[in-house]
Amino acid sequence: MNTPPHESGEKHVTGEAVYIDDIPVNAQLLAGRVVYSPHAHARIVSFDLSQAKKVLGVHAVLCHKDIPGHNQMGPVVKDEPCLAMDEVVCIGQAVFLIAAETEEQCLEAEKKIKIKYELLEPILTLEKAIEKNNLLGPPRTMHRGDAEAALKSSPHTIKGVLRTGAQEHWYLETQICLCVPGEGKEINVFSSTQHPSETQALIAGVLGVGKHDVVVEVRRMGGAFGGKETQGNHAACWSALLCNATKRPVKVRLFRDDDQKMTGKRHRILAKYEVGFDDDGMLNAFKVEVNSDAGCATDLSFAILERTMLHTDNCYYVPNFSILARAWKTNLPSNTAFRGFGGPQGMAIAETAVDRVARFLKKDAAEIRHKNFYGIESRNVTQYGQTVENNRLFLLYDQLMKSSEYSRRKREVNEFNAANEFQKKGLAITPVKFGISFTTTYLNQAGALVNVYKDGTILVNHGGTEMGQGLHTKIHQIAAAEFGVSLDKVKVNATNTSKVPNTSPTAASAGADLNGMAVKNAIDTLKSRIATAMVQIFLDENPDIPSLHNSIVFKDDWIIDSDHPERKILFSDAMPLMNLRQVSLSATGFYKTPNIEWDKKKSWGRPFNYYAFGMCVSEVMIDVLTGQHTLLRTDILHDVGDSLNPAIDMGQVEGGYIQGVGWCTTEEIKWDDKGNLLTHSPDTYKIPSVQDIPKDFRVELLQGVPNPNAIRKSKAVAEPPLMLALSTWLAIKDAISAVADHELEPEFALPATNEVILLSIENLKARMRSSDGEAVLKAPLTAKTSRSKT
Amino acid sequence: MIPEISFVLDGSIVTIDFTKPSSRGPTTTVLNYLRSLPGHKGVKEGCAEGDCGACTVVLGELVGNKSIRYKSADSCLLFLPMIHGRQLITVENLKDPSGELHPVQSAMVESSGSQCGFCTPGIVMSLFSLYKSTDHPTRLQIDDALTGNLCRCTGYKPIIEAAAHACVHKGLDHLSRDYSRIVGLLKSIPQAPIHIKTKLQSYFKPTSLSAVFSHRRQHPDAVIVSGATDVALRVTKKHELIPEIIDLSDIAELKAITNTATTLTIGAGVTLTEAMPRIEHDFPALYKMLSVFGSQQIRNLATFGGNLGSASPIGDALPVLMAYGAKVVLKRPNGKRDVSLDDYFLGYRKTARAANELITAIVIPKLKNGAAVRSYKISKRKDLDISTLSGGFRLDAKNSGTVKNIVLAYGGMAERTKRATTAEQFLVGKQWNRQTVERAMPLIDKDFTPISDARAGAEFRKVAARNLLLKFWTDTVMNE
Repeated sequence: MNTPPHESGEKHVTGEAVYIDDIPVNAQLLAGRVVYSPHAHARIVSFDLSQAKKVLGVHAVLCHKDIPGHNQMGPVVKDEPCLAMDEVVCIGQAVFLIAAETEEQCLEAEKKIKIKYELLEPILTLEKAIEKNNLLGPPRTMHRGDAEAALKSSPHTIKGVLRTGAQEHWYLETQICLCVPGEGKEINVFSSTQHPSETQALIAGVLGVGKHDVVVEVRRMGGAFGGKETQGNHAACWSALLCNATKRPVKVRLFRDDDQKMTGKRHRILAKYEVGFDDDGMLNAFKVEVNSDAGCATDLSFAILERTMLHTDNCYYVPNFSILARAWKTNLPSNTAFRGFGGPQGMAIAETAVDRVARFLKKDAAEIRHKNFYGIESRNVTQYGQTVENNRLFLLYDQLMKSSEYSRRKREVNEFNAANEFQKKGLAITPVKFGISFTTTYLNQAGALVNVYKDGTILVNHGGTEMGQGLHTKIHQIAAAEFGVSLDKVKVNATNTSKVPNTSPTAASAGADLNGMAVKNAIDTLKSRIATAMVQIFLDENPDIPSLHNSIVFKDDWIIDSDHPERKILFSDAMPLMNLRQVSLSATGFYKTPNIEWDKKKSWGRPFNYYAFGMCVSEVMIDVLTGQHTLLRTDILHDVGDSLNPAIDMGQVEGGYIQGVGWCTTEEIKWDDKGNLLTHSPDTYKIPSVQDIPKDFRVELLQGVPNPNAIRKSKAVAEPPLMLALSTWLAIKDAISAVADHELEPEFALPATNEVILLSIENLKARMRSSDGEAVLKAPLTAKTSRSKT
Repeated sequence: MIPEISFVLDGSIVTIDFTKPSSRGPTTTVLNYLRSLPGHKGVKEGCAEGDCGACTVVLGELVGNKSIRYKSADSCLLFLPMIHGRQLITVENLKDPSGELHPVQSAMVESSGSQCGFCTPGIVMSLFSLYKSTDHPTRLQIDDALTGNLCRCTGYKPIIEAAAHACVHKGLDHLSRDYSRIVGLLKSIPQAPIHIKTKLQSYFKPTSLSAVFSHRRQHPDAVIVSGATDVALRVTKKHELIPEIIDLSDIAELKAITNTATTLTIGAGVTLTEAMPRIEHDFPALYKMLSVFGSQQIRNLATFGGNLGSASPIGDALPVLMAYGAKVVLKRPNGKRDVSLDDYFLGYRKTARAANELITAIVIPKLKNGAAVRSYKISKRKDLDISTLSGGFRLDAKNSGTVKNIVLAYGGMAERTKRATTAEQFLVGKQWNRQTVERAMPLIDKDFTPISDARAGAEFRKVAARNLLLKFWTDTVMNE
């Protein structure tokens, strides 16, 4: 297959790519504004909108009573009112909507809204939610074997607690939607959403109209990362309500700080674990309790929690496994999907446990990991009953240990640490095994509509959305390859609910897998129809020896009878003939993933079509006096099957990893004791910048590993690479641990900010002082220290 | 005085007359202005505070009479009058009229440097600025050019590759062909004082200090901007309509840099970018601090006067300036005085500057015989991050190894830039060795009660502040 650059690359670099805020709209466009709760938990006593409505230029000020349909935008569970009624449950919850001719007028109107709140006690931490037993829903469990008994009989056990932090998506394009009224009840919606069909459904719901009156279109998103899987719906519902009330085009675009304050994040968790193992480090039992902060509503929290449970094994076979997982309700914006969808939290628990086992046994963690990998023939069934097929772990491990020169560098790191008091290095390798498929099984379906026009050009519609991941580029390639035409003959259309209905979100890394197959299915239908007509056409010319339907091939812009290669016609010349012969050149396609089943009640089955694998070695250096870290080198080897587009897949691997590095290091979310987000802008919320990437960054795709379970032997890529960053996180821990010569287990958390690192070092120093006097602290400063980087 | 501004856009002079009833206000940002035009939607708003760079444009400034200097800037932080007399270049201007992509654009496509594409126009403009200024840039120069641009998709690697591939043509491109015509256009724009008065706002951009003084007398509440990287946020984030502004960016008297045998004097209107090459040799600790100060887009606008005027407790450059013993030159209509930085900061964003005084320069004495100055910045992210805390330290030691004089100035530890006087006093007269330093470390607590905030907790600040002293000691010992 050709590997063209991103299909919008040229439009991106020239500024010609159109995002929703760039769509030309006529002068009737109104600015929409959302007025949100400043309190984490309060009762709305009364409000008065009359003065706000009088502000010059204001066309609508809406409250929940003005919603013509259902006041609801919960995607699964209907527990999220579109506009607050009598109670607000988080800061940032929408209460009123304003539409005015300018943003300034909106702001002025907002100041004139009178509202009286009665403050209620908020729950802002997981501890408080647990104390108050504020469960979001019934706890989930997953078991294999008898973890309790196995822990008792294990030669060694380690218990621990792990906290992982929230993460803000920080898509560059904030939440936005433009609605344009049509005639009657019709409304045209241009939304930055990963799930146009759900956006359509929720808008139909709030407006009280049929879905056939609502058309949602998505050309592209300026980043999403899960943050627009459900929460893109919110801006869409708000602008639809304002559009409906004013019968004018209305755009709701969240200002960056508002976006950060109002939208959900990656779920922070508080996990407790106990691991049982023998002298060699073989894992025998793993008992995990996961507490997840869902925020104020359900959103996708249970599906996310489920994926956490499905990834607490990461790559390790543990015969006795027990997981208890609970989602807790707090007065924070409802947390939501974020690349990895709960998987990163599960893997962080697994990797922490394995890291601790290795430290306890004073063995190299790489060796313990390798020892406990899922086997090829045996020890290859997960704690939820799925066999790990096409296991690439050993292949990855052997290649990466070698190419990264792990053993040599491990020695060098130890030497460096022995010679330097104020700088310490750390090294870690971690693997990734990530299940590909929606665990909500019915979502594993996709549709397509492929039109061929008489000039031989092809327009492909499918249900997936483009958020930068290169889905349209891959679909473009698939369609051109299946039709055997050059790329310039094919165009991938903006995603549109009136072209392909009832679609699943573009999520779970499955966009190309599902939609690629649906597009292929439509093209197969068209090719079959065209072949039938071609057989007839060739028969007219060669009445003696008819062409066979199966022998008609589509190749290099030609349609050819492979048995009689002289019988051929240019694809573009054939299409007018199809029209003359009354052949339909429009076909739908459909695909559902076969062979997956998942019993949610028993937590048992085969939820995934296949697994994606990857592995990563990171080397870091920390400054013992300031807690600042430097990422010296990262080696990644990642499995994408037979890549559909290596450049795009490399971009996903590198970008996913760096996003994971952010989650693991600098991206810290803090709220104050009233529930106000303190880190509400890029001023205080720090995603990785260009200087945060590894000084030496080596990324390779694993070669020669076709994936039998997906389109053109490829493999999904979007989410799994994020979790490669756990190696960076554990390399930092390794460097901290070196401060106490690996004799003590350091305190650690995720993200490992410079604050976490420095205070962990201080804690180690204090423990060293109390255990063996002040020996280490008084070690003479050797001359070698001077040569280290300052 | 003229009531309108002119600049070059899309190859011709654009004039904005703010007095027209339909016109926008003078604190309209260049970002919002561009996005209101049909042909300039490429410029994106990502944060409206200069932290993401999606709105990066390049400004062409006339240098002397015949050359143009190109500088990247965050258009969200630029008020329209600030680009008077300059060429405004946006992503739409890079393509050759023949339709061919600019080298930085084609390199970005070829290296898969864009994914979602939303940050891409800003990144392309930063690369364009690099392309025009630096041939065969080093990795350090590439990183520096891109620090002000956040990308959430790519992990930056392909963008770095694009920069290295593209910037190899000595800055030549289709803009070079049109160069002398643009120089002519820029020269034709009068550099007269600008005074824009609308119903709600007054924006004064004088060209002489005396005009500033007389205007201040009449408008004592006017906000003074010198770069506006801080004040712009009041407009973009707090939606303030600032009624009166005096913009110092066109005053030649504030742009001088004077180097003598004993001092370096930097005018208050000198941008950090302009000052850095003059600082590097004699004041390496200050240079080091400036090189992690904001981003290139910020440093191209930010001035010393602005940094000293806003007197933020976490002002990055301030502790190290204090360590160098710098003085602020304060002028009033009928005189001037020099105030040592030790006496300049009084409280939270409060300084010794009187209402009728203006910061005109900073004087930095050169170090004598072996004094050592170091600067340290601790922030969550290494670059484009405001300090959690920072230190500017100076040691004057006798030959015997005893401390003659020591300055331990901290930012981010109190409501203003402040010295750890207890620890300083303890150290004076003692041997500069690890033992005394470790005894001095806990004394730093005596002068500070740091706070917990979004950036870090108080305990972290406390520990790190102590440790910086030890770090300073290791650095002084190691480098001699």
